[in-house]
Amino acid sequence: MVTSTSARKALKTTLEVPTLRRSYYARTLDESQKGKKVAWCSNNIPSEVLDAMDVTSVFLENYATVIAAKRLASAFCAAGEKVGFSQDVCGYARMLMGYILARDQVPEAPYGGLAKPDFLLVNSYSCDSRLGWFAAMSRALNIPLHVHDAPHQPDGASDSAINADYTERELRGLVAFLEEQTGARFNPERLRKRLDLSRQTSDIMFEINELRKAVPCPMGSADMFTAVWPAMYMAGTKECEDFYSKLRAEVEEKIAKGIGVVPEEKFRLMWSGIPFWYNMSLLNYVEDFGGVVVIEGFYRSRERRLRAQDDDPIRDMALSSTRQRGWPATIINSIDDVLDAVKEYRINGVVLSFNPSCRLSYVSQMELQRSLEEQGIPTLGLECDMADERTYSEGQVKTRLDAFVERLLAKA
Amino acid sequence: MNRVITAGIDIGAATSKAVVLQNSHLLSYSIIPTGAESVTSAQRAMDEALLKTDKLSLEDIRHIVATGYGRVIVPFANETVTEISCHARGANWLFPSVRTVLDMGGQDCKAIRCDEQGKLVNFVMNDKCAAGTGRFLEVMAQVIGLPLEEIGPASLQAKEEIRINSTCTIFGKSEVTALLRQGRDRQDILAGLHAAIVNRVYTLLRKIGIEPEFAITGGIAKNTGVVKRLEERIGLRVRLPEEPQIVGALGAALFARDRLLEK
Repeated sequence: MVTSTSARKALKTTLEVPTLRRSYYARTLDESQKGKKVAWCSNNIPSEVLDAMDVTSVFLENYATVIAAKRLASAFCAAGEKVGFSQDVCGYARMLMGYILARDQVPEAPYGGLAKPDFLLVNSYSCDSRLGWFAAMSRALNIPLHVHDAPHQPDGASDSAINADYTERELRGLVAFLEEQTGARFNPERLRKRLDLSRQTSDIMFEINELRKAVPCPMGSADMFTAVWPAMYMAGTKECEDFYSKLRAEVEEKIAKGIGVVPEEKFRLMWSGIPFWYNMSLLNYVEDFGGVVVIEGFYRSRERRLRAQDDDPIRDMALSSTRQRGWPATIINSIDDVLDAVKEYRINGVVLSFNPSCRLSYVSQMELQRSLEEQGIPTLGLECDMADERTYSEGQVKTRLDAFVERLLAKA
Repeated sequence: MNRVITAGIDIGAATSKAVVLQNSHLLSYSIIPTGAESVTSAQRAMDEALLKTDKLSLEDIRHIVATGYGRVIVPFANETVTEISCHARGANWLFPSVRTVLDMGGQDCKAIRCDEQGKLVNFVMNDKCAAGTGRFLEVMAQVIGLPLEEIGPASLQAKEEIRINSTCTIFGKSEVTALLRQGRDRQDILAGLHAAIVNRVYTLLRKIGIEPEFAITGGIAKNTGVVKRLEERIGLRVRLPEEPQIVGALGAALFARDRLLEK
């Protein structure tokens, strides 16, 4: 049984996210009722394109984290298992399938539930489980599904014309699908405006992540795992940009005044992998020992977004995504990234989450942990599902964390 | 240094242990079943250890460190340290050349690396599954029909080692029951069970690497069948404490002494 609470935030601006999120979901319900087309999306579907086409996007994996944060996930997962989905299947997928197919067996869904979808959009980027999940939803809901494919680039950023052309075709295919579903014509200028704003916001996020290198750390992962939300789901909006401008200002103020998450840091940690959404207070746990989780491996803006690569916004997106190192990074690139971050953020140890229902991340975490230990960087692996709190054992996790802290303090 | 009394108390899943130290000298210890009430068990373990001293009372103890899963509920402890660090410290104090410790307890097992001072360097735990723990062997002893203390020596008398396919305690129990019904020899079955448990913990040890010397702590260190097989598997002689179950509490008492020295 989880007895802990949400993460304690160091920044006032972070506390605005729940309101933004509630408004976002309320808006999707409102827009749906007013006749706007609603797309249920996987992560990495470019929301800027949907906004430009006046389509309301709802990102299911995020909704699943909301359910998990409210500690309702076990009920939703159990419902998904009852309708036939194995416990080995992604927790997010189980929850949403339970929501769709066994609504009478789940608690009341947060924010009044999800807006009814007109179609589904899934990105093959980073996760293959999604493809099966979204196909199952398409059958269950009897609505169209569009698969948006992205080429994997084993060596990271690439100038490959083949990859850029393929990505462009896929993006144009997405636009064509949306035109068919909405009856509206795509307006490139609207997308251009969204992309420009999205880039500006990414720049601000990048600066915030650079500022977090300060000692003492002004903003840790306890804040950022919440504060990253607008960038993931409201990209390309003025509201999103304003939020990060405010966040950056608050971080700068903290640095100017020498205010850190903990007053006297004894050790600095990285959290690698998806956190346990039902117990984000784990990110504060080490603060009682003088530690701070400074930076996260996932969801971190690693580089400044490339400037516009082409006047045509679709071609621009295609070139940017293939020329920018980032998702889907290979294991090797991810490891290099983490090793660099350990130096830049002056990290003394890395906590890695091993998520049984996220196959993709599990394998890479093993290799990452091995590489870190080879470099003499202490690591701790915690194996719990990201959403299903039935897999979490407080005593076991805290014993491991306590021992890890003892290890770090013994080394200091 | 004046006479300084410290104590360590280890509240484990199966047993509670207390150790009383006077400076660097082990004065007394106790081992009792933990039972349902951890606080009562902690008190009893402490009382029993004190009874074995020359009229010491709780008030004579300058600093008490609690360890084990029940460490946070010991009302008379001054602080807590995890059993991982305590086993490292305790084993290294008993054998200063020890750098790798395998603690096989009632319901979990841990592979631990320490430095020359007994400080924790790395660790890995298995506490999600009873395989590789005392509970596994208790269940199997019951199924086989032998007292727990006899299964180790019996396993070394086997003519052949019957391969046990299940790593899970529950499924393993079914498998052993089936083998007994087939008339298979108890010693041969025990050989297979002991091999299975050793395979399990060997995987744990490999994850953090094995640096000599190597010690086993926890109740299973008393099982000669496990110890001998591990020695053969690892290719190292195992250092065995005289009373392996108290190593965690000993480490805790040593940490208590360290705190006083720091002050």
